[in-house]
Amino acid sequence: MARKDTQNALRRRGISDPTIDLLLSQYRRLADIAEAPVEDLVKLGLDEDKAANVLKLVGPARRRKKKATKKVAEKAPEAKVEFQEIVKTKPLTPMEEKLTDMADELDLKLSRRVISELASRLDGHDLPDDKIHAVLKKAHQRYEEHLMDANESAGILAAQSIGEPGTQMTMRTFHYAGVAEINVTLGLPRLIEIVDARRVPSTPLMEIHMAPEVAGDVDAVRKVASRIEKTTLLDIADIETDIVNMRVIVHPDEIKLSQKDITLEHIVEKLDKERRLRKLSRIEDGKIILSTPENEEPSFKKLQLIVQTARDAAIQGIDGIERAILRKEGSEYVIYTAGSNLRDVLMEENVDPTRTTTNSIQEIYEVLGVEAARNSIIYEATRTLEEQGLTVDIRHIMLVADLMTNDGDVKAIGRHGISGRKSSVLARAAFEITATHLLHAALTGETDYLDGVAENIIVGQPVTLGTGAVNLVYQPKNKGAKQ
Amino acid sequence: MMRGVSKRIGSIRFATISPDEIRRMSATKVITADTYDDDGFPIDMGLMDPHLGVIEPGLRCKTCGNKVDECPGHFGHIDLAMPVIHVGMVRELKKLLESTCRSCGRLLMTKEEAAEASEAMDAVDDLGGDYIDYRLMARAAARGASKKEFCPHCGQPQEKITLDKPTTFREGGHKLTPKEVRERLERIPDEDLPPLGINPETCRPEWMVLTALAVPPVTVRPSITLESGDRSEDDLTHKMVDVLRINQRLRENRDAGAPQLIVEDLWELLQYHVTTYFDNQTSGIPPARHRSGRPLKTLVQRLKGKEGRFRSNLSGKRVNFSARTVISPDPTLSINEVGVPFEAARELTVPVHVTPGNVENLRQMILNGNTPEFRDGKYVPGVNYVIRTDGRRVRITDRNSELISESLEPGYVVERHLMDNDVVLFNRQPSLHRMSMMAHTVRVMPAKTFRFNLCVCPPYNADFDGDEMNLHVLQSDEARAEALILMRVQEHIMSPRFGGPIIGAIHDHITGTYLLTHQNPLFTKQQVLDVLTNINHRPLPEPHIIDGKEYWGGHELFSLILPEDLRMTFKASICQNCPTCKKEDCELDAFVKVRHGILVQGTIDEKGVGSFKGKILDKITRDYGSEKAREFLDNVTKMAIGAIMVKGFTTGIDDEDIPAEATAQINDALSDAIKKVSDLVAAYHEGILEQMPGRTLDETLEVEVMKVLGRARDEAGQIAGRHLGMDNSAVIMARSGARGSMLNLSQMAGCIGQQAVRGERLSRGYWNRTLPHFRKGDLGAEAKGFVKNSYKSGLTPTEFFFHAMGGREGLVDTAVRTSRSGYMQRRLISALEDLKLKQDGTVRNTADTIIQIHYGEDGIDPTRSVSGDAVDVDDVLSEVLGDEADLLTRIGETRQVGYATVEKDLMETMEEEEFEELDYDMGGDD
Repeated sequence: MARKDTQNALRRRGISDPTIDLLLSQYRRLADIAEAPVEDLVKLGLDEDKAANVLKLVGPARRRKKKATKKVAEKAPEAKVEFQEIVKTKPLTPMEEKLTDMADELDLKLSRRVISELASRLDGHDLPDDKIHAVLKKAHQRYEEHLMDANESAGILAAQSIGEPGTQMTMRTFHYAGVAEINVTLGLPRLIEIVDARRVPSTPLMEIHMAPEVAGDVDAVRKVASRIEKTTLLDIADIETDIVNMRVIVHPDEIKLSQKDITLEHIVEKLDKERRLRKLSRIEDGKIILSTPENEEPSFKKLQLIVQTARDAAIQGIDGIERAILRKEGSEYVIYTAGSNLRDVLMEENVDPTRTTTNSIQEIYEVLGVEAARNSIIYEATRTLEEQGLTVDIRHIMLVADLMTNDGDVKAIGRHGISGRKSSVLARAAFEITATHLLHAALTGETDYLDGVAENIIVGQPVTLGTGAVNLVYQPKNKGAKQ
Repeated sequence: MMRGVSKRIGSIRFATISPDEIRRMSATKVITADTYDDDGFPIDMGLMDPHLGVIEPGLRCKTCGNKVDECPGHFGHIDLAMPVIHVGMVRELKKLLESTCRSCGRLLMTKEEAAEASEAMDAVDDLGGDYIDYRLMARAAARGASKKEFCPHCGQPQEKITLDKPTTFREGGHKLTPKEVRERLERIPDEDLPPLGINPETCRPEWMVLTALAVPPVTVRPSITLESGDRSEDDLTHKMVDVLRINQRLRENRDAGAPQLIVEDLWELLQYHVTTYFDNQTSGIPPARHRSGRPLKTLVQRLKGKEGRFRSNLSGKRVNFSARTVISPDPTLSINEVGVPFEAARELTVPVHVTPGNVENLRQMILNGNTPEFRDGKYVPGVNYVIRTDGRRVRITDRNSELISESLEPGYVVERHLMDNDVVLFNRQPSLHRMSMMAHTVRVMPAKTFRFNLCVCPPYNADFDGDEMNLHVLQSDEARAEALILMRVQEHIMSPRFGGPIIGAIHDHITGTYLLTHQNPLFTKQQVLDVLTNINHRPLPEPHIIDGKEYWGGHELFSLILPEDLRMTFKASICQNCPTCKKEDCELDAFVKVRHGILVQGTIDEKGVGSFKGKILDKITRDYGSEKAREFLDNVTKMAIGAIMVKGFTTGIDDEDIPAEATAQINDALSDAIKKVSDLVAAYHEGILEQMPGRTLDETLEVEVMKVLGRARDEAGQIAGRHLGMDNSAVIMARSGARGSMLNLSQMAGCIGQQAVRGERLSRGYWNRTLPHFRKGDLGAEAKGFVKNSYKSGLTPTEFFFHAMGGREGLVDTAVRTSRSGYMQRRLISALEDLKLKQDGTVRNTADTIIQIHYGEDGIDPTRSVSGDAVDVDDVLSEVLGDEADLLTRIGETRQVGYATVEKDLMETMEEEEFEELDYDMGGDD
């Protein structure tokens, strides 16, 4: 619990401000104060009665807090799930291992990336240990030099670094890497989409990898592709309206049927599932006849309705997958799809769930969780920027992604997300919807503690970042002045 | 004086004001709608009552006795004849009416429910919820309560409350007057408020129904006197006049016992005026207008939006001691300097505290007056003002300078003119990143523009086609120190965006170093002297003697400004990326090797010293510090300019001359392509074009045609390129990275290529055709915007038109882009501004929530990183192992960087380059 919260909590319990200051000089948490013996409080400079009083006031709070936590615990009973720890870090190469051990020995902290980079250079060259030691020491020294300073405004740095290149980006849709058949939104609109945490991207897209056993087999992959691609009746058959007999005749395209591995029975089965077409279809020498319901008065309007429903009836495929394209990558065939439905695609047979992805961050969040969503934000943003030939340090993007996913779900950058939840009234009012924030603050008696940047600029005092975060006090010694 | 005392505002608490408090703080009650009497004096108890503050110079405030600027202004109040509802609070009011009993005023919750609600609130509190969580809890509680049909406390059946926007409440169809609403709100006990999200200490519900209206001080709504002598009142005053008038009539009618209908009408009118007084954009009612028809700007409008108080006056403030003028280049200045015109320097001042140490100097300066003469042709600083110990500010004139000079004593502050080596901030909008505002040291010089070194153009994104920039003079020693340490140009050579130099050589500087070093040309003594004048360099080596004359090589000259122990190996920008690198034997001289501070071989171009890419720059900044880097850059600029002047350099239309047979070849290639396109179109019409999977036939044709035409353009470019060698100035610029690209050249000499709108061939204009010159439905190359000619050969009228179509898209694109990216950046900044790296390596926001446990997963500052890497491994190796390291370094190998790579196919690259070219065309902003 932050100092401020403790302060508030004490205030709510009716403890006077000077006493609070006294208490806070020693304690940070409410629980600490509650557990402290009276003598300690007296030592702080409170008289005994007061100290006892404080403990009395704080005491019940402790109980109440416990109750509250219990309440929360009750509502969310401990999950009875056994977690299996999955360690999927790349194993160290012998050289990397050697370097890691050496670094440990010398008590040097180096990131894995640096070690593996060094290892890849040194591998195959027989360097004496003392030279390697020297190399590691040098690398460590450099590493330390390159660390960021405390109180650096990392956030502003990130925001500027991502925002500034925005002016240099294009605003167009492009054809997806090599797959000319699929369009993707790239450039500025895509970047905006990512930081907005838009529910559905404007061009959802999936990259489906196959299990290694079948990845090289065109037919097997094609089968999967046709199975997930959404197919309507019109895609595989001609539909004819027989007005004389008030019925609809469907002429399936044999070739397409065999390509997609669909049988007539299958079609009838699917058509029966449509509400308006229930029990209307039957097979008649290679054709499917849809007749108007017998017990009803036949009308053209109804016939028209049947034609329409039949035309759009989904015969096969997964919802949302508009189009699936195969592409050979190395020795593998990969399916690219326009439209995305991660949950259902992962359930498909022969799909490799570890390598299959979508560009819909929200879907990744729903299916795979926040951490995956965070990685997805980083991946998508980096890719968008890189595609435009703009280099932005990945740490900036990471910070944005971490901020967006900080409290367990994906929040947008903007009024409805991060900026709308700021603790400062003034900062919120300065951003958007000014009046509402001010009125609401008045109602609930909000207090603005002026910790952030925008607030302090508004009241005209130094901000709390960088040089504003530290205080330098210099007390000049006056000659002849008494101590 | 407050100087030296740094007090901070700890916190600001928001609360609702009660009618009692309004009356208590009121300086006067306002009753008359009139403002001034016939003599032009403010009427007592009118809206301009002198008790409310002063706006006219010379007068004193009747409340506090201060003069203009000293008196902050005082509130007055209007007693409303009948209560009215505050528009901003309608929603809350509805919530309150719905969730409390209509007879006893208690919250419609049983004791248990209430306890549960407050407990849940405490839980949220303990778990660190934010205001949105509270609001959601409050809303849920209110919703639960409003569903009750009977009061759990008194058993009273409840009725449904509806809201007629904006301010009328109905209960089961019957209208509730504000008075009734207020009475009901009064009955709600304090302890029932917290579950509804209202803090009874700061807000009683009945205060949301107004009985008294605070009248803002006149200083908030000053009236202005027009030239004609007429007074023009502020919008707020106008609105208050309306309120007062109706209020008066309502009171009279009510007191006279007028019919209920009339009173109610007036009451509603009063409600309207009070509503629009708060917010003149309330939906559902017409905005109140000025006589001229312009909607009035009332309270909410004053605060809201980009021009509102918050964004325009509180988050951004106007300042003194600033200047703005056109900029122009000056390669003789250091990157840290800025040239300031005399006129500006005389106006901008720096406050100097008088101490026994500097009193004599300052006396002399005061004697110079406020516009001193030039002494020996040199600028002499003068003094504009002297601030005495009592805070009085005295303007220095020729007449009083001697007197003031004599009376000067320690404790005074002298505002002296700007002079050389003062620290100023220099800025160009849009300020997109921190390098948009950097600290420079002043060089006062003649002419009327600000001047700076060309290397500083990239961070400001400045050019000299009429750009203007701002300059701010720092006013305190702390500010100067901070600016000098943190904001100085040399501290920003490295960009935090990608960990490479953003300040570096551009354009002619790169051409200059190229001419200086490419194939190591020889320079005569005279030339060497020309190049090296004004450069602070290492001693010159022994000359080569050829035919009894002294010569120095370009490499030797360049080495003179390198640090003595520099050691580097990299590939220059002219490198052609041959399949196998010949390294030292590169015939293009693209393999750069620096050993012991001597450029052994290679060409210095964009990859060496250019902004964004300069490797030498990068290395010097990182390893030798920013001071050395500044020196290097200053020297490079001077040396490059020297070299280009000695060697001579020009480019013109004849650089794109290609021999007749090349033109013929290009024409053949293009005709071939056009033929191929018509074949494709024919195939399409005959139905024998093979359809691409997942594409319609039309799309397939387009894709194929684009591919063919794109290839044709590239081929034309290649043919042209074969005839343009490295002796060609335009090619030198393109290859060395100074300016332009090979694509630009091939478009000038070869063929411009397909024009595109929205990534497709041009298709709109007339019905089924682009221009009436073509047949309807013509899908051929010429009819859909293929430009066969080059910029040099000149475009045909149709081609010109197509080119303009493509160009228009680029213009629209930029216009849309700037606003969209601006908004994105604003949101990003607003979301991330509060994050900072704490001592423990975590990144946290103001609520102390951890955003990242370890910044960037390794704690490395991107500014200090080596293009994103924590440590430059090559560097470490070569430093430790010396020449041995050459075996281990892997220059030129493409490193696996970052998270993702996107490949592009032919068509896209073409489109993208098209854009690049457009940007180039639009170079000039103003």
